[in-house]
Amino acid sequence: MNKSLRFRGYAYIIPALVISVGLIYFCIGYTGYISTLNWDGVSPDPIEVGFQNFLKLFNDADFWRALSHTAIFFVAAFVFQAGLGFVFAALLHSKVKLAGVYKVLIFLPVVLAPATMAPVFRQIYSPTGQFNAVLGFLGLHWLEQPWLGQVSTSLAVITSIAVWSGMGVSFILYFAAMSQVDPEVLEAARIDGAGNFRTLVSIVWPSVRGTTLAIAILTAIASLKTFDIPWLVAEAGPNYSTEFLGTFIYREAIPLNAVGYASAISIMLLILALVVAITLRVIGRDRSAD
Amino acid sequence: MFEVRTFGGKLVLQIVITLMVIPFVFPLIAMIQGSLAGTGWNNYAVVLGISQLPLFFLNSAIIAVSVIAVVYVCTMLAAFGFSKLHIRGKEFYFWLLLAALTLPEVVLITPLFVTTTSIGIYNTYWAVIIPLAALQIPFTVLLARNFMDGVPDALIEAARIDGASTWKAFRYIVLPLTSPIAAALVVLTLIGTWNDYLMPLVFLQSSSLQTITQVPDFFISEFSNDQTKILAAAVITAIPEVVAYLLLQRLFERGLSAGALK
Repeated sequence: MNKSLRFRGYAYIIPALVISVGLIYFCIGYTGYISTLNWDGVSPDPIEVGFQNFLKLFNDADFWRALSHTAIFFVAAFVFQAGLGFVFAALLHSKVKLAGVYKVLIFLPVVLAPATMAPVFRQIYSPTGQFNAVLGFLGLHWLEQPWLGQVSTSLAVITSIAVWSGMGVSFILYFAAMSQVDPEVLEAARIDGAGNFRTLVSIVWPSVRGTTLAIAILTAIASLKTFDIPWLVAEAGPNYSTEFLGTFIYREAIPLNAVGYASAISIMLLILALVVAITLRVIGRDRSAD
Repeated sequence: MFEVRTFGGKLVLQIVITLMVIPFVFPLIAMIQGSLAGTGWNNYAVVLGISQLPLFFLNSAIIAVSVIAVVYVCTMLAAFGFSKLHIRGKEFYFWLLLAALTLPEVVLITPLFVTTTSIGIYNTYWAVIIPLAALQIPFTVLLARNFMDGVPDALIEAARIDGASTWKAFRYIVLPLTSPIAAALVVLTLIGTWNDYLMPLVFLQSSSLQTITQVPDFFISEFSNDQTKILAAAVITAIPEVVAYLLLQRLFERGLSAGALK
Protein backbone atom coordinates (compact mmCIF):
# COMPACT_ATOMS: atom_id res chain seq x y z
CA MET A 1 0.00 0.00 0.00
CA ASN A 2 1.33 3.43 -0.86
CA LYS A 3 1.92 6.21 1.63
CA SER A 4 -1.12 8.34 0.86
CA LEU A 5 -3.49 5.42 1.38
CA ARG A 6 -1.92 4.58 4.72
CA PHE A 7 -2.31 8.20 5.75
CA ARG A 8 -5.97 8.09 4.76
CA GLY A 9 -6.43 5.02 6.94
CA TYR A 10 -5.29 6.98 9.96
CA ALA A 11 -7.65 9.80 9.01
CA TYR A 12 -10.60 7.48 9.70
CA ILE A 13 -9.63 6.59 13.24
CA ILE A 14 -8.10 9.92 14.29
CA PRO A 15 -11.32 11.80 15.24
CA ALA A 16 -12.39 9.04 17.64
CA LEU A 17 -8.88 8.68 19.05
CA VAL A 18 -8.43 12.42 19.60
CA ILE A 19 -11.77 12.92 21.34
CA SER A 20 -11.93 9.70 23.33
CA VAL A 21 -8.41 8.39 23.92
CA GLY A 22 -6.95 11.91 23.93
CA LEU A 23 -9.34 13.33 26.48
CA ILE A 24 -9.56 10.24 28.65
CA TYR A 25 -5.84 9.55 28.87
CA PHE A 26 -5.13 13.22 29.41
CA CYS A 27 -7.57 13.17 32.32
CA ILE A 28 -6.03 10.00 33.75
CA GLY A 29 -2.55 11.49 33.54
CA TYR A 30 -3.73 14.71 35.08
CA THR A 31 -5.55 12.82 37.84
CA GLY A 32 -2.34 10.90 38.51
CA TYR A 33 -0.48 14.19 38.93
CA ILE A 34 -3.15 15.73 41.19
CA SER A 35 -3.14 12.59 43.33
CA THR A 36 0.33 13.56 44.54
CA LEU A 37 -0.88 16.96 45.73
CA ASN A 38 -2.61 18.29 48.79
CA TRP A 39 -4.98 20.60 46.97
CA ASP A 40 -8.48 22.10 47.23
CA GLY A 41 -8.84 22.50 43.44
CA VAL A 42 -8.62 26.30 43.30
CA SER A 43 -5.69 27.57 45.38
CA PRO A 44 -2.79 28.68 43.14
CA ASP A 45 -0.03 26.79 44.96
CA PRO A 46 -0.88 23.21 45.89
CA ILE A 47 1.51 21.32 48.17
CA GLU A 48 3.36 18.31 46.78
CA VAL A 49 2.92 15.35 49.09
CA GLY A 50 4.20 12.43 47.01
CA PHE A 51 2.35 9.22 47.78
CA GLN A 52 0.90 10.38 51.07
CA ASN A 53 -2.63 10.47 49.68
CA PHE A 54 -2.31 6.78 48.86
CA LEU A 55 -0.94 5.94 52.31
CA LYS A 56 -3.87 7.81 53.83
CA LEU A 57 -6.20 5.89 51.54
CA PHE A 58 -4.99 2.47 52.68
CA ASN A 59 -5.54 3.47 56.30
CA ASP A 60 -8.92 5.08 55.65
CA ALA A 61 -11.80 2.97 56.96
CA ASP A 62 -14.16 4.96 54.68
CA PHE A 63 -12.30 3.65 51.64
CA TRP A 64 -12.52 0.01 52.71
CA ARG A 65 -16.17 0.46 53.59
CA ALA A 66 -16.95 1.90 50.14
CA LEU A 67 -14.96 -0.92 48.56
CA SER A 68 -16.79 -3.63 50.50
CA HIS A 69 -20.17 -2.12 49.55
CA THR A 70 -19.03 -2.16 45.92
CA ALA A 71 -18.02 -5.83 46.18
CA ILE A 72 -21.28 -6.91 47.85
CA PHE A 73 -23.24 -4.89 45.31
CA PHE A 74 -21.36 -6.49 42.41
CA VAL A 75 -22.04 -10.05 43.53
CA ALA A 76 -25.73 -9.43 44.23
CA ALA A 77 -26.31 -7.35 41.08
CA PHE A 78 -24.55 -9.93 38.90
CA VAL A 79 -26.45 -12.90 40.33
CA PHE A 80 -29.84 -11.20 39.96
CA GLN A 81 -29.23 -9.53 36.61
CA ALA A 82 -27.75 -12.60 34.99
CA GLY A 83 -30.27 -14.97 36.61
CA LEU A 84 -33.37 -12.93 35.82
CA GLY A 85 -32.07 -11.93 32.39
CA PHE A 86 -31.49 -15.60 31.52
CA VAL A 87 -34.90 -16.76 32.73
CA PHE A 88 -36.72 -13.91 30.99
CA ALA A 89 -34.84 -14.59 27.75
CA ALA A 90 -35.67 -18.31 27.94
CA LEU A 91 -39.33 -17.59 28.65
CA LEU A 92 -39.62 -15.11 25.81
CA HIS A 93 -38.09 -17.63 23.41
CA SER A 94 -40.91 -20.01 24.36
CA LYS A 95 -43.83 -18.76 22.28
CA VAL A 96 -45.62 -16.91 25.06
CA LYS A 97 -48.39 -14.54 24.03
CA LEU A 98 -47.65 -10.79 23.85
CA ALA A 99 -43.88 -11.39 23.88
CA GLY A 100 -43.30 -7.98 22.30
CA VAL A 101 -45.10 -6.22 25.13
CA TYR A 102 -43.14 -8.09 27.80
CA LYS A 103 -39.89 -7.23 26.06
CA VAL A 104 -40.69 -3.52 26.06
CA LEU A 105 -41.74 -3.62 29.72
CA ILE A 106 -38.53 -5.38 30.72
CA PHE A 107 -36.29 -2.98 28.84
CA LEU A 108 -38.10 0.25 29.70
CA PRO A 109 -36.34 0.70 33.09
CA VAL A 110 -32.97 0.78 31.26
CA VAL A 111 -34.16 3.76 29.29
CA LEU A 112 -35.36 5.78 32.28
CA ALA A 113 -32.91 8.08 34.06
CA PRO A 114 -31.96 7.23 37.66
CA ALA A 115 -32.42 10.94 38.31
CA THR A 116 -36.01 10.68 37.10
CA MET A 117 -36.76 7.51 39.04
CA ALA A 118 -35.03 8.47 42.31
CA PRO A 119 -38.03 10.36 43.77
CA VAL A 120 -40.27 7.45 42.77
CA PHE A 121 -38.14 4.90 44.60
CA ARG A 122 -37.76 7.15 47.62
CA GLN A 123 -41.52 7.15 47.86
CA ILE A 124 -42.00 3.43 47.20
CA TYR A 125 -39.56 2.43 49.96
CA SER A 126 -40.63 5.11 52.44
CA PRO A 127 -42.28 3.94 55.70
CA THR A 128 -45.71 4.86 54.29
CA GLY A 129 -44.81 3.84 50.74
CA GLN A 130 -46.14 1.26 48.31
CA PHE A 131 -43.63 -1.44 49.20
CA ASN A 132 -44.84 -1.60 52.78
CA ALA A 133 -48.42 -1.37 51.50
CA VAL A 134 -47.86 -4.44 49.32
CA LEU A 135 -46.34 -6.33 52.26
CA GLY A 136 -49.35 -5.38 54.37
CA PHE A 137 -51.68 -6.47 51.58
CA LEU A 138 -49.94 -9.85 51.52
CA GLY A 139 -50.44 -10.16 55.28
CA LEU A 140 -46.75 -9.58 56.05
CA HIS A 141 -47.23 -6.62 58.39
CA TRP A 142 -44.35 -7.72 60.59
CA LEU A 143 -41.98 -7.11 57.64
CA GLU A 144 -42.94 -3.47 57.22
CA GLN A 145 -40.04 -1.13 57.99
CA PRO A 146 -38.33 2.10 56.89
CA TRP A 147 -36.31 0.36 54.16
CA LEU A 148 -34.17 3.33 53.14
CA GLY A 149 -33.97 4.88 56.60
CA GLN A 150 -31.97 2.15 58.33
CA VAL A 151 -28.45 0.85 57.86
CA SER A 152 -29.49 -2.82 57.82
CA THR A 153 -31.61 -2.65 54.64
CA SER A 154 -30.47 0.42 52.69
CA LEU A 155 -27.74 -1.32 50.67
CA ALA A 156 -30.13 -4.11 49.68
CA VAL A 157 -32.70 -1.52 48.54
CA ILE A 158 -30.11 0.37 46.49
CA THR A 159 -29.03 -2.92 44.92
CA SER A 160 -32.61 -3.83 44.07
CA ILE A 161 -33.07 -0.46 42.32
CA ALA A 162 -29.87 -1.02 40.33
CA VAL A 163 -31.09 -4.50 39.31
CA TRP A 164 -34.42 -2.99 38.28
CA SER A 165 -32.75 -0.44 36.06
CA GLY A 166 -30.01 -2.68 34.62
CA MET A 167 -31.56 -6.11 34.16
CA GLY A 168 -32.97 -5.22 30.72
CA VAL A 169 -29.45 -5.12 29.30
CA SER A 170 -28.58 -8.67 30.37
CA PHE A 171 -31.99 -9.80 29.16
CA ILE A 172 -31.40 -8.33 25.67
CA LEU A 173 -27.92 -9.86 25.49
CA TYR A 174 -29.15 -13.31 26.55
CA PHE A 175 -32.14 -13.03 24.24
CA ALA A 176 -29.84 -12.35 21.29
CA ALA A 177 -27.40 -15.11 22.31
CA MET A 178 -30.20 -17.67 22.64
CA SER A 179 -31.41 -17.06 19.11
CA GLN A 180 -27.99 -18.38 18.00
CA VAL A 181 -28.43 -21.72 19.78
CA ASP A 182 -28.77 -24.39 17.13
CA PRO A 183 -32.40 -25.65 17.15
CA GLU A 184 -31.21 -29.08 15.98
CA VAL A 185 -29.11 -29.51 19.11
CA LEU A 186 -32.15 -28.69 21.22
CA GLU A 187 -34.24 -31.09 19.19
CA ALA A 188 -31.66 -33.86 19.62
CA ALA A 189 -31.60 -33.32 23.38
CA ARG A 190 -35.38 -33.59 23.50
CA ILE A 191 -35.39 -36.77 21.47
CA ASP A 192 -32.85 -38.15 23.96
CA GLY A 193 -35.46 -37.49 26.62
CA ALA A 194 -34.11 -34.31 28.21
CA GLY A 195 -36.88 -32.23 29.81
CA ASN A 196 -37.21 -28.45 29.62
CA PHE A 197 -35.21 -27.85 32.76
CA ARG A 198 -32.45 -30.26 31.78
CA THR A 199 -32.14 -28.73 28.30
CA LEU A 200 -31.91 -25.27 29.79
CA VAL A 201 -29.19 -26.21 32.28
CA SER A 202 -27.13 -28.58 30.14
CA ILE A 203 -27.45 -27.08 26.66
CA VAL A 204 -28.63 -23.48 26.71
CA TRP A 205 -26.73 -22.21 29.75
CA PRO A 206 -23.30 -23.50 28.57
CA SER A 207 -23.84 -22.18 25.06
CA VAL A 208 -24.45 -18.61 26.27
CA ARG A 209 -21.40 -18.61 28.54
CA GLY A 210 -19.77 -15.86 26.48
CA THR A 211 -22.74 -13.63 27.23
CA THR A 212 -22.61 -14.46 30.94
CA LEU A 213 -18.97 -13.45 30.97
CA ALA A 214 -19.73 -10.20 29.13
CA ILE A 215 -22.46 -9.46 31.69
CA ALA A 216 -20.02 -10.17 34.53
CA ILE A 217 -17.53 -7.68 33.06
CA LEU A 218 -20.21 -5.06 32.39
CA THR A 219 -21.64 -5.46 35.92
CA ALA A 220 -18.20 -5.30 37.53
CA ILE A 221 -17.37 -2.08 35.73
CA ALA A 222 -20.84 -0.67 36.44
CA SER A 223 -20.41 -1.51 40.15
CA LEU A 224 -17.15 0.40 40.30
CA LYS A 225 -18.84 3.30 38.52
CA THR A 226 -21.98 3.30 40.70
CA PHE A 227 -22.87 6.84 41.63
CA ASP A 228 -26.29 8.03 40.47
CA ILE A 229 -28.57 5.61 42.30
CA PRO A 230 -27.05 5.65 45.83
CA TRP A 231 -26.42 9.38 45.64
CA LEU A 232 -29.82 10.39 44.29
CA VAL A 233 -31.92 7.95 46.26
CA ALA A 234 -30.13 7.99 49.61
CA GLU A 235 -27.21 10.49 49.40
CA ALA A 236 -25.05 7.45 50.15
CA GLY A 237 -26.67 7.17 53.58
CA PRO A 238 -27.98 6.64 56.13
CA ASN A 239 -24.69 6.82 58.01
CA TYR A 240 -22.71 6.02 54.81
CA SER A 241 -24.36 2.61 54.53
CA THR A 242 -24.72 3.04 50.75
CA GLU A 243 -21.36 4.71 50.15
CA PHE A 244 -19.69 3.47 46.95
CA LEU A 245 -16.34 4.41 45.45
CA GLY A 246 -18.15 6.78 43.07
CA THR A 247 -19.99 8.64 45.82
CA PHE A 248 -16.84 8.64 47.98
CA ILE A 249 -14.82 10.34 45.20
CA TYR A 250 -17.61 12.84 44.59
CA ARG A 251 -17.94 13.67 48.29
CA GLU A 252 -14.22 14.24 48.68
CA ALA A 253 -13.85 16.21 45.43
CA ILE A 254 -16.87 18.52 45.49
CA PRO A 255 -18.43 19.04 48.94
CA LEU A 256 -15.15 18.53 50.85
CA ASN A 257 -12.79 20.08 48.26
CA ALA A 258 -10.14 17.43 48.92
CA VAL A 259 -9.25 17.24 45.24
CA GLY A 260 -5.85 15.61 45.73
CA TYR A 261 -7.29 12.86 47.87
CA ALA A 262 -10.24 12.33 45.51
CA SER A 263 -7.75 11.88 42.66
CA ALA A 264 -5.86 9.23 44.63
CA ILE A 265 -9.13 7.32 45.10
CA SER A 266 -9.84 7.75 41.36
CA ILE A 267 -6.49 6.22 40.48
CA MET A 268 -7.17 3.25 42.79
CA LEU A 269 -10.57 2.84 41.16
CA LEU A 270 -9.03 2.78 37.68
CA ILE A 271 -6.46 0.20 38.71
CA LEU A 272 -9.23 -1.94 40.23
CA ALA A 273 -11.38 -1.63 37.10
CA LEU A 274 -8.54 -2.74 34.84
CA VAL A 275 -7.54 -5.61 37.13
CA VAL A 276 -11.13 -6.83 37.35
CA ALA A 277 -11.73 -6.57 33.60
CA ILE A 278 -8.50 -8.44 32.80
CA THR A 279 -9.12 -11.09 35.49
CA LEU A 280 -12.61 -11.82 34.21
CA ARG A 281 -11.31 -12.07 30.66
CA VAL A 282 -8.61 -14.50 31.71
CA ILE A 283 -11.12 -16.61 33.66
CA GLY A 284 -13.36 -16.61 30.59
CA ARG A 285 -10.53 -17.70 28.33
CA ASP A 286 -9.51 -20.56 30.64
CA ARG A 287 -13.04 -21.84 30.85
CA SER A 288 -13.66 -21.75 27.12
CA ALA A 289 -10.36 -23.60 26.56
CA ASP A 290 -11.71 -26.62 28.45
CA MET B 1 -36.57 -22.64 24.88
CA PHE B 2 -39.32 -24.15 27.01
CA GLU B 3 -41.27 -26.51 24.85
CA VAL B 4 -44.80 -26.77 26.12
CA ARG B 5 -47.55 -28.44 24.16
CA THR B 6 -50.47 -28.62 26.55
CA PHE B 7 -52.80 -25.70 27.15
CA GLY B 8 -52.21 -25.94 30.89
CA GLY B 9 -48.46 -25.74 30.41
CA LYS B 10 -48.78 -22.69 28.19
CA LEU B 11 -50.96 -21.03 30.79
CA VAL B 12 -48.38 -21.73 33.50
CA LEU B 13 -45.62 -20.12 31.38
CA GLN B 14 -47.80 -17.10 30.74
CA ILE B 15 -48.57 -16.72 34.44
CA VAL B 16 -44.92 -17.16 35.45
CA ILE B 17 -43.69 -14.45 33.09
CA THR B 18 -46.49 -12.10 34.09
CA LEU B 19 -45.66 -12.51 37.77
CA MET B 20 -41.98 -11.93 37.03
CA VAL B 21 -42.67 -8.76 35.05
CA ILE B 22 -44.83 -7.20 37.78
CA PRO B 23 -41.90 -5.94 39.94
CA PHE B 24 -40.47 -4.23 36.85
CA VAL B 25 -43.72 -2.49 35.99
CA PHE B 26 -44.69 -1.70 39.57
CA PRO B 27 -42.48 1.42 39.99
CA LEU B 28 -43.84 2.82 36.72
CA ILE B 29 -47.40 2.35 37.92
CA ALA B 30 -46.50 3.85 41.30
CA MET B 31 -44.99 6.83 39.45
CA ILE B 32 -48.05 7.47 37.30
CA GLN B 33 -50.49 6.82 40.13
CA GLY B 34 -48.55 9.12 42.46
CA SER B 35 -48.43 11.85 39.83
CA LEU B 36 -52.23 11.78 39.65
CA ALA B 37 -52.81 11.77 43.41
CA GLY B 38 -54.21 14.82 45.17
CA THR B 39 -55.23 17.32 42.53
CA GLY B 40 -55.15 14.81 39.65
CA TRP B 41 -54.29 16.11 36.18
CA ASN B 42 -53.89 19.53 37.67
CA ASN B 43 -50.44 18.38 38.90
CA TYR B 44 -49.39 18.14 35.27
CA ALA B 45 -50.90 21.51 34.48
CA VAL B 46 -48.88 23.09 37.30
CA VAL B 47 -45.64 21.40 36.23
CA LEU B 48 -46.17 22.26 32.55
CA GLY B 49 -46.95 25.84 33.57
CA ILE B 50 -43.44 26.35 34.94
CA SER B 51 -41.65 28.73 32.62
CA GLN B 52 -38.20 27.08 32.93
CA LEU B 53 -39.41 23.64 31.86
CA PRO B 54 -39.05 24.15 28.07
CA LEU B 55 -35.54 25.40 28.74
CA PHE B 56 -34.61 22.20 30.61
CA PHE B 57 -35.88 20.15 27.66
CA LEU B 58 -34.12 22.36 25.14
CA ASN B 59 -30.79 22.09 26.98
CA SER B 60 -31.03 18.32 27.22
CA ALA B 61 -32.02 18.13 23.55
CA ILE B 62 -29.14 20.36 22.42
CA ILE B 63 -26.64 18.30 24.42
CA ALA B 64 -28.10 14.94 23.34
CA VAL B 65 -28.25 15.83 19.64
CA SER B 66 -24.71 17.23 19.67
CA VAL B 67 -23.28 14.22 21.48
CA ILE B 68 -25.09 11.83 19.13
CA ALA B 69 -23.73 13.71 16.11
CA VAL B 70 -20.15 13.65 17.41
CA VAL B 71 -20.39 10.01 18.47
CA TYR B 72 -21.97 8.96 15.17
CA VAL B 73 -19.35 10.58 12.96
CA CYS B 74 -16.38 9.44 15.07
CA THR B 75 -17.74 5.91 15.57
CA MET B 76 -18.62 5.16 11.97
CA LEU B 77 -15.31 6.43 10.63
CA ALA B 78 -13.30 4.65 13.31
CA ALA B 79 -15.23 1.39 13.05
CA PHE B 80 -14.65 1.37 9.28
CA GLY B 81 -10.98 2.13 9.79
CA PHE B 82 -10.53 -0.56 12.43
CA SER B 83 -12.58 -3.14 10.56
CA LYS B 84 -11.63 -2.66 6.92
CA LEU B 85 -8.47 -0.59 6.47
CA HIS B 86 -4.82 -1.49 6.90
CA ILE B 87 -3.56 0.81 9.60
CA ARG B 88 -0.23 0.24 11.27
CA GLY B 89 -0.64 -0.60 14.95
CA LYS B 90 -4.42 -0.42 14.76
CA GLU B 91 -4.97 -3.18 17.30
CA PHE B 92 -2.90 -1.20 19.78
CA TYR B 93 -5.08 1.89 19.24
CA PHE B 94 -8.18 -0.26 19.52
CA TRP B 95 -6.93 -1.68 22.80
CA LEU B 96 -6.28 1.86 24.10
CA LEU B 97 -9.85 2.72 23.25
CA LEU B 98 -11.23 -0.40 24.96
CA ALA B 99 -9.28 0.23 28.16
CA ALA B 100 -11.12 3.56 28.34
CA LEU B 101 -14.37 1.58 28.70
CA THR B 102 -13.56 1.00 32.33
CA LEU B 103 -13.37 4.70 33.14
CA PRO B 104 -16.08 6.08 35.45
CA GLU B 105 -17.10 9.65 34.72
CA VAL B 106 -16.56 10.67 38.33
CA VAL B 107 -12.82 10.25 37.69
CA LEU B 108 -13.01 12.92 35.00
CA ILE B 109 -14.47 15.59 37.25
CA THR B 110 -11.35 17.09 38.77
CA PRO B 111 -9.13 17.23 35.67
CA LEU B 112 -12.04 18.42 33.53
CA PHE B 113 -12.96 21.08 36.04
CA VAL B 114 -9.44 22.48 36.02
CA THR B 115 -9.13 22.21 32.24
CA THR B 116 -12.52 23.67 31.34
CA THR B 117 -12.10 26.63 33.67
CA SER B 118 -8.62 27.37 32.34
CA ILE B 119 -9.66 27.29 28.65
CA GLY B 120 -12.88 29.14 29.36
CA ILE B 121 -15.52 26.58 28.39
CA TYR B 122 -16.66 25.86 31.96
CA ASN B 123 -20.40 26.50 32.24
CA THR B 124 -20.97 26.06 28.48
CA TYR B 125 -22.55 23.15 26.59
CA TRP B 126 -19.09 22.09 25.38
CA ALA B 127 -17.95 21.24 28.90
CA VAL B 128 -20.60 18.50 28.90
CA ILE B 129 -20.82 17.51 25.22
CA ILE B 130 -17.17 16.60 24.68
CA PRO B 131 -16.65 14.48 27.82
CA LEU B 132 -19.94 12.64 27.29
CA ALA B 133 -19.00 11.89 23.68
CA ALA B 134 -15.55 10.73 24.81
CA LEU B 135 -17.13 8.33 27.31
CA GLN B 136 -19.57 6.89 24.75
CA ILE B 137 -17.17 6.37 21.86
CA PRO B 138 -15.23 3.33 23.18
CA PHE B 139 -18.39 1.22 23.52
CA THR B 140 -20.02 2.37 20.28
CA VAL B 141 -16.80 1.74 18.34
CA LEU B 142 -16.63 -1.76 19.81
CA LEU B 143 -20.21 -2.50 18.71
CA ALA B 144 -19.87 -0.87 15.30
CA ARG B 145 -16.57 -2.59 14.55
CA ASN B 146 -18.10 -5.99 15.33
CA PHE B 147 -21.00 -5.11 13.07
CA MET B 148 -18.79 -3.96 10.20
CA ASP B 149 -16.66 -7.11 10.50
CA GLY B 150 -19.82 -8.84 9.28
CA VAL B 151 -19.85 -6.77 6.07
CA PRO B 152 -17.98 -8.85 3.45
CA ASP B 153 -14.62 -7.43 2.37
CA ALA B 154 -15.49 -8.53 -1.16
CA LEU B 155 -18.08 -5.74 -1.39
CA ILE B 156 -15.41 -3.14 -0.78
CA GLU B 157 -12.88 -4.84 -3.07
CA ALA B 158 -15.46 -4.84 -5.81
CA ALA B 159 -16.13 -1.16 -5.34
CA ARG B 160 -12.39 -0.46 -5.43
CA ILE B 161 -11.98 -2.42 -8.65
CA ASP B 162 -14.79 -0.35 -10.13
CA GLY B 163 -12.68 2.69 -9.34
CA ALA B 164 -14.30 3.89 -6.14
CA SER B 165 -12.06 5.56 -3.57
CA THR B 166 -11.92 4.31 0.02
CA TRP B 167 -14.15 7.20 0.99
CA LYS B 168 -16.74 6.36 -1.67
CA ALA B 169 -16.70 2.69 -0.66
CA PHE B 170 -17.33 3.77 2.91
CA ARG B 171 -19.95 6.37 2.08
CA TYR B 172 -21.96 4.49 -0.56
CA ILE B 173 -21.36 0.80 0.18
CA VAL B 174 -20.72 0.33 3.90
CA LEU B 175 -22.62 3.19 5.51
CA PRO B 176 -26.03 2.33 3.97
CA LEU B 177 -25.73 -1.17 5.48
CA THR B 178 -25.20 0.09 9.00
CA SER B 179 -28.66 1.34 9.95
CA PRO B 180 -29.22 -1.28 12.71
CA ILE B 181 -25.96 -0.39 14.43
CA ALA B 182 -26.68 3.30 13.89
CA ALA B 183 -30.01 2.84 15.68
CA ALA B 184 -28.29 1.02 18.54
CA LEU B 185 -25.75 3.82 18.72
CA VAL B 186 -28.42 6.53 18.75
CA VAL B 187 -30.46 4.83 21.46
CA LEU B 188 -27.46 4.03 23.66
CA THR B 189 -26.01 7.51 23.31
CA LEU B 190 -29.39 9.08 23.90
CA ILE B 191 -29.84 7.05 27.09
CA GLY B 192 -26.31 7.84 28.26
CA THR B 193 -26.63 11.55 27.54
CA TRP B 194 -30.23 12.34 28.37
CA ASN B 195 -29.95 10.43 31.66
CA ASP B 196 -26.60 11.84 32.71
CA TYR B 197 -26.75 13.58 36.03
CA LEU B 198 -23.19 14.22 37.15
CA MET B 199 -21.74 16.19 34.23
CA PRO B 200 -24.50 18.83 34.02
CA LEU B 201 -24.53 19.01 37.82
CA VAL B 202 -20.85 19.89 37.99
CA PHE B 203 -20.17 21.70 34.72
CA LEU B 204 -23.35 23.70 34.08
CA GLN B 205 -23.83 26.23 36.81
CA SER B 206 -26.18 28.82 35.24
CA SER B 207 -29.82 28.13 35.91
CA SER B 208 -30.45 28.76 32.19
CA LEU B 209 -28.24 25.76 31.26
CA GLN B 210 -29.80 23.13 33.54
CA THR B 211 -30.85 19.82 32.00
CA ILE B 212 -33.75 17.42 32.44
CA THR B 213 -31.98 15.33 35.09
CA GLN B 214 -31.70 18.40 37.33
CA VAL B 215 -35.49 18.78 37.21
CA PRO B 216 -36.33 16.62 40.27
CA ASP B 217 -33.89 18.66 42.39
CA PHE B 218 -35.41 21.82 40.99
CA PHE B 219 -38.93 20.68 41.78
CA ILE B 220 -38.01 19.49 45.25
CA SER B 221 -36.92 23.03 46.09
CA GLU B 222 -39.71 24.66 44.03
CA PHE B 223 -42.59 22.69 45.54
CA SER B 224 -40.97 22.10 48.94
CA ASN B 225 -41.47 18.35 48.57
CA ASP B 226 -44.95 18.22 47.02
CA GLN B 227 -44.49 14.60 45.98
CA THR B 228 -47.36 14.58 43.46
CA LYS B 229 -45.85 17.44 41.42
CA ILE B 230 -42.39 15.88 41.61
CA LEU B 231 -43.76 12.62 40.22
CA ALA B 232 -45.70 14.45 37.52
CA ALA B 233 -42.41 16.10 36.56
CA ALA B 234 -40.72 12.68 36.53
CA VAL B 235 -43.35 11.32 34.12
CA ILE B 236 -43.00 14.32 31.81
CA THR B 237 -39.20 14.07 31.70
CA ALA B 238 -39.37 10.33 30.98
CA ILE B 239 -41.71 10.63 27.98
CA PRO B 240 -39.19 11.67 25.27
CA GLU B 241 -36.96 8.67 26.00
CA VAL B 242 -39.80 6.21 26.09
CA VAL B 243 -41.03 7.50 22.72
CA ALA B 244 -37.55 7.39 21.20
CA TYR B 245 -37.01 3.86 22.46
CA LEU B 246 -40.37 2.61 21.18
CA LEU B 247 -39.74 4.13 17.74
CA LEU B 248 -36.24 2.67 17.39
CA GLN B 249 -36.82 -0.53 19.34
CA ARG B 250 -36.64 -3.09 16.52
CA LEU B 251 -33.60 -1.59 14.82
CA PHE B 252 -31.97 -1.10 18.21
CA GLU B 253 -32.31 -4.76 19.16
CA ARG B 254 -31.02 -5.94 15.80
CA GLY B 255 -28.05 -3.61 16.01
CA LEU B 256 -27.20 -4.50 19.59
CA SER B 257 -27.38 -8.22 18.87
CA ALA B 258 -25.31 -7.93 15.70
CA GLY B 259 -22.73 -5.78 17.45
CA ALA B 260 -22.55 -7.70 20.71
CA LEU B 261 -22.55 -11.30 19.47
CA LYS B 262 -18.92 -11.86 18.73
